[in-house]
Amino acid sequence: MGDGLCERFGKGEDRLMVRDEYYAGFMQRKPAWMEAFEALKARIAAFVVDYIAIFYLIVIAAYCITELSGYQGSFFPLPWWILLIVVGELIVLWETFGISLGMRVAGIRLRTEDGNTVPFRRSIIRYLAWHISALPAIGCLAILWNKDRLSWHDRMSGTKIEKQRETYKTSIAWYRSSRGITTALLIFFTLLAGVFITEINLHTLFTGASKTGRLWKALFTPDWAVLGEGINLLIVTIFMALMATLFAIVFAVPLSFLAARNLMHGFIGRTVYIVVRIAMSITRSIEPIIWAIIFVVWVRLGTFPGVLALFVHSIADLTKLYSERLESIDLGPVEAIRATGANNLQVIMYGIVPQIVNPYLSFTIYRWDINVRMATIIGIVGGGGIGQLLYHYTRHWKWHAAGTLMLLIILTVWAIDYLSSRLRESLE
Amino acid sequence: MAEAQLVIEHLTKVYERGEVLALDDVSFSVKKGEFLILIGLSGSGKSTLLRCINRLIEPTSGKILLDGVDITKAKTRDLRQIRRKIGMIFQQFNLVKRSSVRTNVLAGRLGYTSMWRSLSGRFSKQDLERTEVSLDRVGLSEKMHTRADQLSGGQQQRVGIARALMQEPELLFADEPVSALDPATSNSVLQYLEQMNQEDGVTVLCALHFLSLARRYGTRIIALKDGKIVFEGLPKEIDDARFKEIYGEDAEEVEIR
Repeated sequence: MGDGLCERFGKGEDRLMVRDEYYAGFMQRKPAWMEAFEALKARIAAFVVDYIAIFYLIVIAAYCITELSGYQGSFFPLPWWILLIVVGELIVLWETFGISLGMRVAGIRLRTEDGNTVPFRRSIIRYLAWHISALPAIGCLAILWNKDRLSWHDRMSGTKIEKQRETYKTSIAWYRSSRGITTALLIFFTLLAGVFITEINLHTLFTGASKTGRLWKALFTPDWAVLGEGINLLIVTIFMALMATLFAIVFAVPLSFLAARNLMHGFIGRTVYIVVRIAMSITRSIEPIIWAIIFVVWVRLGTFPGVLALFVHSIADLTKLYSERLESIDLGPVEAIRATGANNLQVIMYGIVPQIVNPYLSFTIYRWDINVRMATIIGIVGGGGIGQLLYHYTRHWKWHAAGTLMLLIILTVWAIDYLSSRLRESLE
Repeated sequence: MAEAQLVIEHLTKVYERGEVLALDDVSFSVKKGEFLILIGLSGSGKSTLLRCINRLIEPTSGKILLDGVDITKAKTRDLRQIRRKIGMIFQQFNLVKRSSVRTNVLAGRLGYTSMWRSLSGRFSKQDLERTEVSLDRVGLSEKMHTRADQLSGGQQQRVGIARALMQEPELLFADEPVSALDPATSNSVLQYLEQMNQEDGVTVLCALHFLSLARRYGTRIIALKDGKIVFEGLPKEIDDARFKEIYGEDAEEVEIR
């Protein structure tokens, strides 16, 4: 009877076992595409770092200009495409005529073919050649298939990108090496640009505090009249989380096997693995509150869309947690059980399940804990539970009632958190 | 060679990744009741050879005849029947660490147990009795309900042997069974194998690292180097020159007793 199920793990007998990778570990060689990518990696890293650096400069400059001139408008006064081209040109100039910030961070530099400093004439040739080479992008990507890892503009100007020797690496303090200083500068400018971008304003943080006084007072003098209603909804909320978690297990357990790299072999296996992985990571990247919005439209307001939202997100999350656990199981026993003549289902039951059952339980409890917390806010978009009522009260300025609900939520979340960590401890 | 139990013909294994030739046209045969030792450096193909025979690893080409039946052509169901005739123990013991000793030993019976019974964990009365007998043979009957990871290395390997005994095997494959054990324990583990070999008439194929142990227990030795057989003969025939041929010029023999 089990053979039907086993088909899903791949066709044939030996899909679910220690395959060549296990024993051929010491024989593995990097695939060609990976080697090619390594060659391009430093250059891409340098380019990205330079881009960020110049972008910061522009953000800071734009901020200063708008502050000083009082100009109210777009943050960047130039059209985006002009900006893109200007930044690109600046970077190429920088990287061609000197060691740019990015090149320092990536630890590369430009040299002539025979390893000398690049004369001015060749730099100009390289800069001009870059436009021919990079605009159709083929010239840069040529690095991927050229044996000597040279792009077209490298070849035309007789230059190459060289990995900087790192003999000094061990002895020099970071603030003395140019690489260390540039990295520190980059971090500093990230923070500076970040302050401007996110409009951090400490002034209002401190001056505005007094306005919340009434609010705090209300929150700390709860209106006990809504207690009964609150507890009722709290039970609903906990059950929402419970149902979502329980139903998610049913889907996540089988999916986790399909999403475990070490168990999925062959062309079909790998394809299934990739599809499941991608589907799960997309599902997981959409927060439950967004899922709730979708399901509110789908099945109308109420607790059901909330359960569905948590359920969908839990499947993806549990599948990830489970499959990572599966990927780290000891394949030795699996091999041993297979060697006794056991079939696929028996191998799973006796070789794999004992290794994963406790971690799976632990992850599930953890997820239920998360679901309870999420269920308390999912009501804000109409997904039911205590959050919906809380939102209702805050919208109508009923802060005393809101305070009661918040107190209930805090107590519940704390209790569930405590319970879940104790339960998980006992599973260790 | 009429009574040959296991015949390997032109067995070749190429690992798809990295295109490594792990076994290169290996041919030999094993008679019933032999204690055959495989020696060679790490990566010489010993493990691959054993795993190709019970097809834990799929051989690339060649024939493997067990009692005249070609294993390489066996279908899923037949393959499982063949595997249960071949007990196997491992360098890292390969027990399910979280399970009890009893469960680990019973797992040796899975090839004989119907799907439904094994999934619900209802093994037959005979199997349960057999578990006690097997554990008794390796001297671990008191450890029946202990978790496998609570045992010492030597004890774990003995549980591995008990698991293999449950299969009532005709052949026993041992993949460097003592490499993770200290010398004294190594000897005792190999004595259990010898006992199976002599009392139950189980044919043993054992990959070993130490030549002294190979000489002490083996009835015949096959040496592999880079996936090829470089020596086949009696233990006493391995002299200094042969040794250097197998292990390389710089090797020196280490005595272990």
